[in-house]
Amino acid sequence: MIQYIIRRLIHTVFVVLAISLIVFFSIRLTGDPVAIMFQAGEPTKEAIEEVRENLGLNEPLIVQYGIFMKQLITFDLGESFRSGLPVSTMIAERMGPTVLLALGGILVAILIAFPVGILSAVKRGTAVDFFGRIFSLLGISFPNFWLGIMLIIVFAVQLQWFPASGYDGWKSLVLPSIALGMILSGILARLVRSSMLEILNQQYISTAKSKGIKDWVVIIRHAFRNALIPTTTFLGIQFGSLLGGTVIIEQVFSWPGVGRMIIDAINQRDYPVIQGGVIVLAMLMILVNLIVDLSYSFLDPRIKVGGSDK
Amino acid sequence: MLKKHLWKFVLLALTAMLLLAACSGGNDEGEGTGNNTDNSGENTGDNQNQDKGKSENPVEGRDGELVIGVPGDPQNWDPIDTFLLDWSTIATSVFEGLVDRNLDLEIQPGLATEWEYVEENVLQFKLREGVTFHNGEPFNADAVKFTFDRLLGEEGAKGPQQANYTAIDHVEVVDDYTVNFHLKYKDPVLITKLAGYGAVIVPPNYIQENGDEHFNNNPVGTGPFKMTKYERDNVVVLEKNENYWKEGLPKLDKVTFKIIPEASTRLAELQTGKIDIMKRVERSQTQAVEDSSFLSLSVAGTPTVYALRFDTDEKPLDNPKVRQALNYAVDKEAIIEEILGGYGNPISTFQSELSFGNNPNLEPYPYDPEKAKELLAEAGVEEGTILDIYTPGNDATFKEVVQAVAFYLEQVGLQANIQTVDANTLTSELMPNGDAGHMYRMGWGGWTLDFDNTAYLLYHEGEFWNPDFYDEKVEELLAAERATVDQAEREEIFMELTERLYELAPQLYLYQDMAMFGVNDRVKNFQTPHDDRIRLENVEVE
Repeated sequence: MIQYIIRRLIHTVFVVLAISLIVFFSIRLTGDPVAIMFQAGEPTKEAIEEVRENLGLNEPLIVQYGIFMKQLITFDLGESFRSGLPVSTMIAERMGPTVLLALGGILVAILIAFPVGILSAVKRGTAVDFFGRIFSLLGISFPNFWLGIMLIIVFAVQLQWFPASGYDGWKSLVLPSIALGMILSGILARLVRSSMLEILNQQYISTAKSKGIKDWVVIIRHAFRNALIPTTTFLGIQFGSLLGGTVIIEQVFSWPGVGRMIIDAINQRDYPVIQGGVIVLAMLMILVNLIVDLSYSFLDPRIKVGGSDK
Repeated sequence: MLKKHLWKFVLLALTAMLLLAACSGGNDEGEGTGNNTDNSGENTGDNQNQDKGKSENPVEGRDGELVIGVPGDPQNWDPIDTFLLDWSTIATSVFEGLVDRNLDLEIQPGLATEWEYVEENVLQFKLREGVTFHNGEPFNADAVKFTFDRLLGEEGAKGPQQANYTAIDHVEVVDDYTVNFHLKYKDPVLITKLAGYGAVIVPPNYIQENGDEHFNNNPVGTGPFKMTKYERDNVVVLEKNENYWKEGLPKLDKVTFKIIPEASTRLAELQTGKIDIMKRVERSQTQAVEDSSFLSLSVAGTPTVYALRFDTDEKPLDNPKVRQALNYAVDKEAIIEEILGGYGNPISTFQSELSFGNNPNLEPYPYDPEKAKELLAEAGVEEGTILDIYTPGNDATFKEVVQAVAFYLEQVGLQANIQTVDANTLTSELMPNGDAGHMYRMGWGGWTLDFDNTAYLLYHEGEFWNPDFYDEKVEELLAAERATVDQAEREEIFMELTERLYELAPQLYLYQDMAMFGVNDRVKNFQTPHDDRIRLENVEVE
């Protein structure tokens, strides 16, 4: 197990190296940060040249990459062109709201999808199943932009239960979490339903039933617990990608998360923030994947991570 | 047996969900009451009778406090590090310059009481006495010298501001309240530039003690409000500067800026009274604001102008007749009316009527498709010639404008091929290399409100913004205008220059943009700024 973890961590180094190469060169192909720094008043050629020089953008690309890698090895992600702050500080500032929103979204998704998915599977082919499936389809097909705006119109403008925007107390977390959770719950409910169905057909379920164990005990303890494995994978990976920020939700609800920061940075071509942000997120994603893999052995003792042939 | 138990499970689950729903509902009310006692009764009323609730002003319990929803966060408050409208919207209340440009865009004394040229290229300022920075530090000649040493020195070289002030060689302290600006060359718009952005005065001791990075996030100036809280991309809080040098001002105790990038969310906050002023109302939202009984739409012309810039190296646009023809072919009035909802003004050259150098005698090109066809025929342009138009993907309004332009071009026998590209790629890659088709969108800020900057950067040979256009007469006039600080003489030169540029038509001149703010009726004395720089010292709330 320890060996396995170490091997995975070594992989990480290579992945980060590859990502740094791709990000570094691809953002430099799509335009220059300097011209748009002068949004309020258009610059002369000399001004553009001078700022470029001072930001170190006139160095050959390979030299710039060398400097970037040298910093990266010492865990220094550089400073933002726009804010002048260390990129690591900026990411740290944003991680809190992002994690909170990711957890909120997943919680809402679980609260909706587990009952819906289980019911659909158990009552397969009935009206309950039908509505359950329609519901997941809706969840999958709602554009989250539209859903966010609808939630704002209903719950913020009409009913005035929750604020429409901001990052200020638990109330402001409710609407973005619902918007995010609704989207997630569609896929999740389908996943729960199909894995439940698969397991309900297994022999041990019939065995358990024939032993006279109560139906709902069978469903929850035997079927649902085993159905949790694919669900956990899905949620784990979703959580990983949610840490990358849910750009649209963050935008609609003015949530100060990582996704908005990186999108702003891309629009402004704030190279250090894009590079640093993407690399940190990639590392988080790898870490989350590792944790998901490890969690299997807790959910199902038969699974052994590290891959002996047993 | 199985069925019966399943039903139990269903019931259990449903009860659980209902309970959850009930709990959360209860919590909301509890929270609402806890947060704002005045509001809870009002809220219940709203729920029962929405129509009635809607017509009442929902703002309560914010005496002396104003909340403004703005679309963006400049990320950095140091005046020499940014050149963004988002900065100026908020920072104008925190910092002040030696001179001040008021809401009607007139120059008036700011931190300096008077100024004059004491010698050729020496500009002397008398400073206001008894002014202090928000941290208690005194404002004096040393602060002015420090500000400009910093701006023109190493620290300033990293940012976009230094280039605006290159005419200044150095600042000399004459006495505590007198400074001399020694100039390298004449800059006719220097006084205007001192009113804003990089030239606002900063506190020397504060910056030296705390460092530049601290100053980025904790700005200190002499303005009517001091910044007491800044959460990046979330909220900025300004509080009254009790020691402000203007007697009896500011009138507000507190101003909160909420950063809300999404326009529909900003509007929702305005409609629910969570914000009092909404910056940048979209054209599609103007009706909603005007229909509300407690909101008003406040509109002002901006210095920002839009045009399609021609690539004069591309055939057939090398011929001025063709460029004129295109100006005649497009019905600008109809575009303003139909696409911009009437919020825009046609322009005769690439500047608004706010700009010094705008020629009031020039009429914007009228809509005359027959004349356009004639000119095209004279120039020998074949029917069905294809013209590529480049427009940035993030500007939905302008995409519609371009589609209208394409329609009008077809009416005179041409064909338009619209290319949508990334905004930044267009500005920093395609445009300077002359790869942006026959014409491309050009929006222009014109922040100095003087045609000098615009004309020089757009029509002087070899400039970043001018990859291809050249005219000898234009070059002459540009040089002449820059050689003097005599405004009457400059105005005369600009009249000649604008006539020349009208005739040469290097652009398809479209329209002047409007700034639109949504304002709650409880806000008094607010005037929408022409240049995004909100002025708050006279604003009051009911």
